[in-house]
This record gives sequence, structure tokens and C-alpha cells, in this order.
Amino acid sequence: MEETLDEVVSLDDLQKFERAYNEQLFTDSVTKETQFNYAWCLVRSKYPADIRKGLILLEELFKRDQSEEGKRDYLYYLAVGNARIKDYAKALQFVRAFLHIEPGNSQVQNLETIVKKRMEREGLVGIAVASGFIIAIGAVLGLILAKR
Amino acid sequence: MDDSVLTTLKILIIGESGVGKSSLLMRFVDNEFNADQAITIGVDFKCKKISLNGNTIKLAIWDTAGQERFRTLTPSYYRDAQGAILVYDVTKKESFTKLETWLNELETYSTKSNIVKMVVGNKIDMENREVSRDDGMKFARRHATLFIESSAKTTDGVQCAFEELVQKIIQTPGLWETQEETSKRAAFRASSDDDAQQSSYCCGGYF
Ligand SMILES: Nc1nc2c(ncn2[C@@H]2O[C@H](COP(=O)(O)OP(=O)(O)OP(=O)(O)O)[C@@H](O)[C@H]2O)c(=O)[nH]1
Ligand SMILES: [Mg+2]
Repeated sequence: MEETLDEVVSLDDLQKFERAYNEQLFTDSVTKETQFNYAWCLVRSKYPADIRKGLILLEELFKRDQSEEGKRDYLYYLAVGNARIKDYAKALQFVRAFLHIEPGNSQVQNLETIVKKRMEREGLVGIAVASGFIIAIGAVLGLILAKR
Repeated sequence: MDDSVLTTLKILIIGESGVGKSSLLMRFVDNEFNADQAITIGVDFKCKKISLNGNTIKLAIWDTAGQERFRTLTPSYYRDAQGAILVYDVTKKESFTKLETWLNELETYSTKSNIVKMVVGNKIDMENREVSRDDGMKFARRHATLFIESSAKTTDGVQCAFEELVQKIIQTPGLWETQEETSKRAAFRASSDDDAQQSSYCCGGYF
């Protein structure tokens, strides 16, 4: 069940989607799709530096893409990426933000269970250090919820 | 490692969005059904141990997102899969027509040429059927895949879909075993031969 945090992107994929991203970056025309595909690869890398880069790209997307379906994808992979670099407290904040909008989402509930299990196993307590970005998400979620 | 486990098999679930892939998996693993099952993000993963003819087999099941925006990356998960479940919705003709595309995807991206395929026509509990059982069966025959109809809601056919797929994988030489395991397969065969006749038609599934 913890495969979600353990499976690793293939080098082929990472390079392929990196190339696509860089090409568009060069002409200043990066689409959401290209950036998301690259970020999705990066957060599944075995190198923390790649994962951090992926998280930055996802945060950018989250701010740039106003669609609701986009936002849930980014939130999910923000949680996955943070969990993979063992920033469990932050991962849980993204999970909770997600479950706030979709309380019954079993895929995200599973992720929450895995993250909590890892924290416990590694003897960590979730001390939430709210970053500026997470506070910003709170505001965005407020908007989404207000719409309903 | 767990000594009593014969092997771990990698299984994929693919098909159009909304046909019930996650619901089938949830029914199979947790025996639950959610009428508001959420759209899968990217890929989801679940594990289940099953026992077949006295052997324990671990299934690592990858539930892929059917939505268009995930299509560029989900094929990466096809690698090394020994079995694939291709799902359509019997009340949506379009999801059945698209199976052709899904088979091509598998052909292109799966790394095992003898991967076992099971076509599943889901949502048979619903009234407004658009694809007959006969059409589903013909499609499966034409493409040499296994076939079953199911309902994740009522549980009909769900267990069988997974079990028959696994049974077929185990019976396929070279698909799952290492050399040491070849002898285990021989033993497995011997034990399953007796009820082979019966099991190949278990709950109306077809080989
Ligand atoms: N009546 C009925 N509804 C079903 C059945 N299986 C799934 N559903 C419903 O169909 C909808 C879609 O099911 P999902 O399991 O999310 O479909 P999916 O194939 O995983 O979709 P993606 O994740 O977007 O690829 C949900 O509302 C389910 O409750 C079934 O056998 N009968
Ligand atoms: Mg799904």
C-alpha cells in the first residue's frame, strides 16, 4: 500500500518530460500540461533535489490554474512530494486541505494513513510549521468552499 | 520476506473515466462501494493477498486514472505488469468502443508480451444497457482475452474477474516465475488440474 510513496520514476520518463518542459521554457510558452507532467515525474524521483523542484512547479501551478480539477491534482502531488522528502507535517496539511473539499476521497484518505504510519515509525510528531504558501491555500480553499 | 507467499503479481486496471475501475478495486479489496467514488488522480495503488488452490498470492494492483489529462504518464505504470483488467461500462457504448484504443496502448507499452488480459463489462445492475453480453464476449474472443460482466455495486462477478485473471497468469509459462519457482508452478498445476474444468467456467467467466 505504501507503493504510492515508494515507486520511482524511470530515467527515460524524467528526461523526456524535462526536455519538453525546457523547450517550452526556452520560448516562454510553458503550458499547464507540460509543467504538470514534468512535476509529476520530479516528485517521484529518488533525489530530494528533484522532488523539491517538482514541489515548486506544483505550487506555481496551484496559483496559476484556477480550475478545480487542476487544484485537486496539484494538492495531491504536493502531499505526495512532501511525504517523500519526509516533510510529513507539511504533507498532512495538504492532505487535510484536500479532505476539507472532498471529505470522502479514499485515495487521499489512504495517503493520510500511510503518512501517519511513517511518522509513527520514524518517531516524529507532526509539528506544523505553516508556510506562507499553505496559508495562501487556506485562502483559496475558502473561496472554493464559499462558491458551493 | 513472507515465505508462504508463492509470488507477487503486478496487475493493472485501465479503461475510460467513470467506467468503475476504482469501484471494482474497492469492492475487491475492501468489500465496499461508494456511489460518489471520486475521480482517480494519476494512479492509485492497493494490495491484496488471495489464496488459490492452497497457494497464497500477493496482488499489487495499480488503478490508473482514465481522465484524458493523465494519459501521457499512466502508461509508465504498465511496465512489468503480468495482468491487465480492461473495463468498460455496459451502459456506455463509447467506453466499449474505446477498448480498442486501450488494447493498443497495452500492446505499445507493456513490457511482457504474454501479459494476460481480462475484459470486464461493468455496471450490469443498471437498466439502460447499451452493450450486450454477446458483443462483449465476441470482442474478447476476437482479441483472445478473458471476459466477464460485473457490478461493483452488487458484487456480481468482481471476485471472479480478479481470480480468473490470476489463475491464467499462474498457468502461463514464463510470465511470473523465476527458475526456482518453475517447480512450484508444476506443483500448482498438479493441484489445479482436478478442478480445471469447473474453474474455467466459474460464475460464467470465459477463457
Ligand atoms: N450502478 C453502478 N454504479 C457504479 C458501478 N461501478 C461504479 N459505479 C459508479 O460509477 C462512478 C464512477 O466510478 P469510478 O470507480 O470512480 O470510475 P473510474 O473508472 O475509476 O474513473 P476514473 O478514476 O476517472 O478513471 C461512481 O459514481 C461509481 O459509484 C456499478 O457496478 N454499478
Ligand atoms: Mg478511478
